[in-house]
Amino acid sequence: MPEFGVERDLAVYNKLLDVFPKEVFVPRNAVQRMFNHYPRQQECGVQLLEQMEEYGVMPNVETKVLLVQIFGKKAHPIRKYQRMMYWMPKFKHVNPFPVPLQLPEDPVDVARFGLARIANDLDAKVTVYQLPCTDITETGEEITIPHVVGIQSPSQMELLAKHNPNKPVFVEGPFPLWLRQTCVHYYVLRADPPEEKVEEPYDPERSLYYPLRLDVDFGRDLGDEENFDVEDLDEGPVFAMCMTGRGDQATLNQWISGLQENNPMLGQVPTLFRVNAGPQELSASADAESGHAHRPDTETRSEEKLQRDGEPGVIVEEEPQRRQGRNQ
Amino acid sequence: MIMNANRLIVLSKCVQSCQRLLACNVRHAGKKVQQVQQQRLFRTHCRQLAYAKDLFLGSLNKDEVFPYPEIGKEELDEINQLVAPVEKFFSEEVDSAKIDREAKIPEETLKGLKELGLFGLMVPEEYGGLGLSNTMYARLAEITSLDGSIAVTLAAHQAIGLKGILIAGTEAQKQKYLPKLASGEHIAAFCLTEPGSGSDAASIQTRATLSEDGKHYLINGSKIWISNGGMADIMTVFARTEVDVDGVKKDKISAFIVERAFGGITSGKPEDKLGIRGSNTCEVSFDNVPVPVENVIGEVGGGFKIAMNILNSGRFSMGSSSAGMIKKLITMTSEYAATRKQFNKSLSEFGMIQEKFAVMSLNAFIMESMAYLTAGMMDRPGLPDCSLEAAMVKVFSSERAWICVSEALQVLGGLGYTKNYPYERYLRDCRILPIFEGTNEVLRMYIALTGMQYAGKITTWKINEIKKGNVGLAIGMLVKKIMNKFSSSVDLGLTGKDGVVHPSMTESAKMLELNVTHFGWTVETLLYRFGKTIVDEQFALKRVADVLINLYAMTAVLSRASRSITIGLKNNDHEILLTNTFCSEAFFRNNYMIHQLQEHTPGNSDANIKKIAAEVLQDRSYICSHPLERIY
Repeated sequence: MPEFGVERDLAVYNKLLDVFPKEVFVPRNAVQRMFNHYPRQQECGVQLLEQMEEYGVMPNVETKVLLVQIFGKKAHPIRKYQRMMYWMPKFKHVNPFPVPLQLPEDPVDVARFGLARIANDLDAKVTVYQLPCTDITETGEEITIPHVVGIQSPSQMELLAKHNPNKPVFVEGPFPLWLRQTCVHYYVLRADPPEEKVEEPYDPERSLYYPLRLDVDFGRDLGDEENFDVEDLDEGPVFAMCMTGRGDQATLNQWISGLQENNPMLGQVPTLFRVNAGPQELSASADAESGHAHRPDTETRSEEKLQRDGEPGVIVEEEPQRRQGRNQ
Repeated sequence: MIMNANRLIVLSKCVQSCQRLLACNVRHAGKKVQQVQQQRLFRTHCRQLAYAKDLFLGSLNKDEVFPYPEIGKEELDEINQLVAPVEKFFSEEVDSAKIDREAKIPEETLKGLKELGLFGLMVPEEYGGLGLSNTMYARLAEITSLDGSIAVTLAAHQAIGLKGILIAGTEAQKQKYLPKLASGEHIAAFCLTEPGSGSDAASIQTRATLSEDGKHYLINGSKIWISNGGMADIMTVFARTEVDVDGVKKDKISAFIVERAFGGITSGKPEDKLGIRGSNTCEVSFDNVPVPVENVIGEVGGGFKIAMNILNSGRFSMGSSSAGMIKKLITMTSEYAATRKQFNKSLSEFGMIQEKFAVMSLNAFIMESMAYLTAGMMDRPGLPDCSLEAAMVKVFSSERAWICVSEALQVLGGLGYTKNYPYERYLRDCRILPIFEGTNEVLRMYIALTGMQYAGKITTWKINEIKKGNVGLAIGMLVKKIMNKFSSSVDLGLTGKDGVVHPSMTESAKMLELNVTHFGWTVETLLYRFGKTIVDEQFALKRVADVLINLYAMTAVLSRASRSITIGLKNNDHEILLTNTFCSEAFFRNNYMIHQLQEHTPGNSDANIKKIAAEVLQDRSYICSHPLERIY
């Protein structure tokens, strides 16, 4: 059915069920009822219902009538139908972040949806820094300009503004995000976690109406401690994310300069690009059979570039390539 | 607490030593606090100047509140003489409907108010004001509240606008500014709030920089929601200044007296408000306004304390002004209820309408009692700190006034809803009461936390010892708690042989005593459970504040009614009735709230509320599916 694209069409399933002859497989006496009457046919019916369940198609009253006519009221398919009718509604809305069946065609819209999904923040603003277009230059070459869509929330902007200019920020990526059958890649602008947590000293002249801190010596009672959280690890702040059509240096630079309009701090902070080569096709390698089981890696560490704004010279440093072979 | 200890010593010998140790140490700690608080008085055992704060410890300071504060006969005659012309003015020459319609107070009305001296009620006589005490100010506030816009204009002028100069100004500043302000020639305003800063003083953006010659401060910034902002000539402006604190440069807030004549001040257009439309509220911008260094109020960097003192001192008059308004409403509404007939009965014979009138008079009675009790306490010698009591009066009066005006409008039904009657104007004017002068939420936090701070200082020793593992002390406290659970009566000295409450209200007084004791234990438990982090537990703090407000209200009515019946004022039996009704209602409400404050009680659904709020706020909308929604 997927070949014809009708796997989510209830009418087709009902038509398929209609193929079965009616009233032939219905057991007529106790002995037939005891011994799994027409088992292969019942299995077939059950498999059809299985496929319906797999694709999330909710059966119909027509389905039920057909099943009763074909297999009788106590057969396996009708039982399967009853179970489907009980469980499927319960699981219909169980995903708090559902991906729509039909993703938008436009890559910018897909990027918008994907970024909003990752950020999961109603304050975060999606900005399209560049729309995709194809230019034809004088020499007749086609130059495609990829789309650059970024996302940042006001709290991330504040964190970035407070970032220490001596510490670098990293552009990392591309990380895959699967949306049903499509995979998009996103890049992250992040920094290392700060070494010590700077706690704002208590200012007794902060609140005009009530004291923000009580002058008692003891803390909370054990019975009311609610905040031990094993997962409360600090992985370092994430300042922004983006998705682009082509993940090379130039496009990412464009993203960073676009971000700089709202975050002037980016001009003073050194930005390191730790970008992988991105998804590539596995090359049909002639030297794949070497005995050391080195496989041409799909992810190799490319050069790290130290980028400071305003400096004309770009320092390129080659880091020794780290192998991430899978068959070590 | 000491009396309880005595009883236990008699009962059980094994905890005798622990109890003695406990009482002795607590008394010791208590005395230390006393000495810190009252450095002006030189006796070691002195009158406890705080009433509400001691309620947090479960002890009732009956000397502060009983007998109800009185004023002398001459003073009373003086007030009545002041009151008569003001009442006449308000009933004849103030057209409230016109003020509301045109959103402006006419010049003649303002002139009349100035001539009556209402612009300088609390300014001392040597500067040209009337030099009234707090009680007299509260009395006059009852009358000015008949028109909401005028009341707010006057309050913004004198309760906060010129209060800064009054309480913290130098002699030169007072001489220069107070006479004109008291006569009303100049109008004052209080400029603190900014778009980004309501309660948070750290986010004030207005800056005052010292000029090169060191003689002027240049103020830059803008303030919003300034009452009298359009017509004020003298403003108390709060701005950030750079101050040297131990060699480190810090930004601290300072208070400045800024005259409009200095130049650079622009007022925006008046805000179109729901109620108090006659009061001028607008945005004020300061653009390099030169302020001479002599115009700093207090010292540079000390603006925060001045702001807090100003804000805390003007609140109590809201009780009497709301009471005045409700009394007028009762007169107007009962007139209607008695004459309108349905089903051959007048409205006043129906139970639900009768309930509304009872609620209105009860609330008016309580508000008056609380306001004048607080004013009386503030007027006593010794400069007591009644900011907690004033905040309680404000919270109680603002909420109850809204309910009462709503009920009065309800009695009139459709007629009350039209503009032909003043009820809708009273309702709109009343809505601002829970919002300005400190929103009720923030004031509840203030009430609860100030008390918790006080109680925490005193009980911190005990709780620390228990947390450290002092078993004897813990067992002692446990035994005391069990004993107390079995005794259903507590004696704090309100009734009985030396009782200060009249015998006709013995039951209510007993209820008050019981509530106070339970409250004291609850506060202790809360401190033990939450410690420092109680600042974040707003659900619990709200209940604590509500209980305390009820307790203070109960004290105020008991005190006032006792005085009434003792000296034989007119209709004192009605007052006794009101007192007993309110006390029993408040008693049960307090008990329920105290019950909710215990841990893991079914009456307490705070965890659920937090969860609901978290889910709704995460999505920023209502998240339930529509009731008609189907799955298949």
